[in-house]
Amino acid sequence: MAININSYLFTVLTLAIFMNLAISLYGIFARPSLIKKIIALTILADTANTLAIMVGYRGWPSPSQPVKPPVLTVLKPSREVIKEFASTSVDPLPQALVLTAIVIGLAVTLFLVFLTLQIYRLYGTTDVRKVAKLRG
Amino acid sequence: MGRWQKVVITASMVAFVALLALALSAGGLGFTLPAGRVRDVARWYLFTTFNPDLELFSAMAPEGVTSIVWDYRGLDTLFETAVFFLAIIGSVAIMRDIKTGGGSKPKGSTGLSPIVKTVTRITVGIILAVAASIALHGHLTPGGGFQGGATAAVAPLLILVIFSRYYIERLGVSKNAMLAIRSLGLVGIAVTAFIVLAVTSLQGGVAYVFQNQPKPYAPAGMPYEVGGSLTGGTLLLFNIFEMFAVSAGFTIIFLLLAIPESEVLGVLRGGEDGH
Amino acid sequence: MPSYETFVMGVLAILGLVSMVAAILAILERDLVKAVIFSAIQSTAYAFMYYLLMAPDIALVYIPVAIGLYPAVVLFLIKKTERYEGD
Repeated sequence: MAININSYLFTVLTLAIFMNLAISLYGIFARPSLIKKIIALTILADTANTLAIMVGYRGWPSPSQPVKPPVLTVLKPSREVIKEFASTSVDPLPQALVLTAIVIGLAVTLFLVFLTLQIYRLYGTTDVRKVAKLRG
Repeated sequence: MGRWQKVVITASMVAFVALLALALSAGGLGFTLPAGRVRDVARWYLFTTFNPDLELFSAMAPEGVTSIVWDYRGLDTLFETAVFFLAIIGSVAIMRDIKTGGGSKPKGSTGLSPIVKTVTRITVGIILAVAASIALHGHLTPGGGFQGGATAAVAPLLILVIFSRYYIERLGVSKNAMLAIRSLGLVGIAVTAFIVLAVTSLQGGVAYVFQNQPKPYAPAGMPYEVGGSLTGGTLLLFNIFEMFAVSAGFTIIFLLLAIPESEVLGVLRGGEDGH
Repeated sequence: MPSYETFVMGVLAILGLVSMVAAILAILERDLVKAVIFSAIQSTAYAFMYYLLMAPDIALVYIPVAIGLYPAVVLFLIKKTERYEGD
């Protein structure tokens, strides 16, 4: 029955992540402040990254054999060590994609911060409703 | 915003999340959560990341993530670095014509109290040491250029907040110096991407762009160990250069953000007068 | 019979719920400084989550980026513009 408990708890995590997705989408679409939109956008990006990591996760092969990060800790690995590594390690591909996505997400967020700053300098507000009413 | 617009946006948001939930319940992530095994391509990556028996297919670095980032999918990472570069350059272009220099020495003491400053002097050294350790061991342990660069970028931010703009300028951390370091890192990445190809072509052989270890039909490659210690071939060089590019890029942004609004508005008004 | 895996999964589920509450508070809060702090709490939950999901690389890059640099930059932005959302 242990497997069912684990699946249940992992599903709770998945549903919480989906709720975060919905919340951040609400924040991006419905909140008027540009700064609040930036905050919601980072929550959305982090949530999507977490979902990708969760796709790469795997259940424990057996209760006494935990999963491992995709890092080999033996300097001169034999064939058995590599086989055991491949059967207990999580998927490294989503981690590699998310790694670059986080840094680039931060760079793009910084660009958005500068755009918001420039909008505030030119229009004197960060409220999109007021910016939309201004002409020129 | 009209009422119909709101209705449409709400309906599309609800539909999006509902569709994702449907895909999940229909087995989009696998029928048992978490999945009992990884995908076949992941098994292949795990088998060949450090495998002396399969030397022609292996990246010969024990760190699975770094070997995917800079060896298996190195071109992806090159273009992601280009996106990063464009985002930083876009921010610099918005703030063009505005001097980052601290100007004259401020009167009296600036920044926070001497206790905080003394602690920060110690902490900054520790942060830079940890960042260098993360980046230089990226091919052996969890870490790499992106992680080390992001960690190193915390140090100038601390100095900027706790001391002052004038102080960080005196340390030699100016916008132009950071742009130079950043360009150096990018040039280093480009050179490392072509180094095996260039050397092999001069000797009359064949090689791939972004080649690290010897591959079938392209028998040239970087040595994966020097004197008995693993170097990961090109991975070590990529990690070092990427750390410089990332940390210098973020430092430019902080220097630009630390400029007081009064100076920026002065330059903007000057621009509107036909300057 | 519960095992260590159940413990790990339980902590993951709790972290997921904590991040959900923090995200709701961050989106609904009108004081933007408090919103940034709630967002940082949500990021902290995610960082622990990455560690438990066996992604140490992501945890290493996520802690400085999402808990250090990003709140600092948005606080800079709030200092230069407006602190309260709406009217």
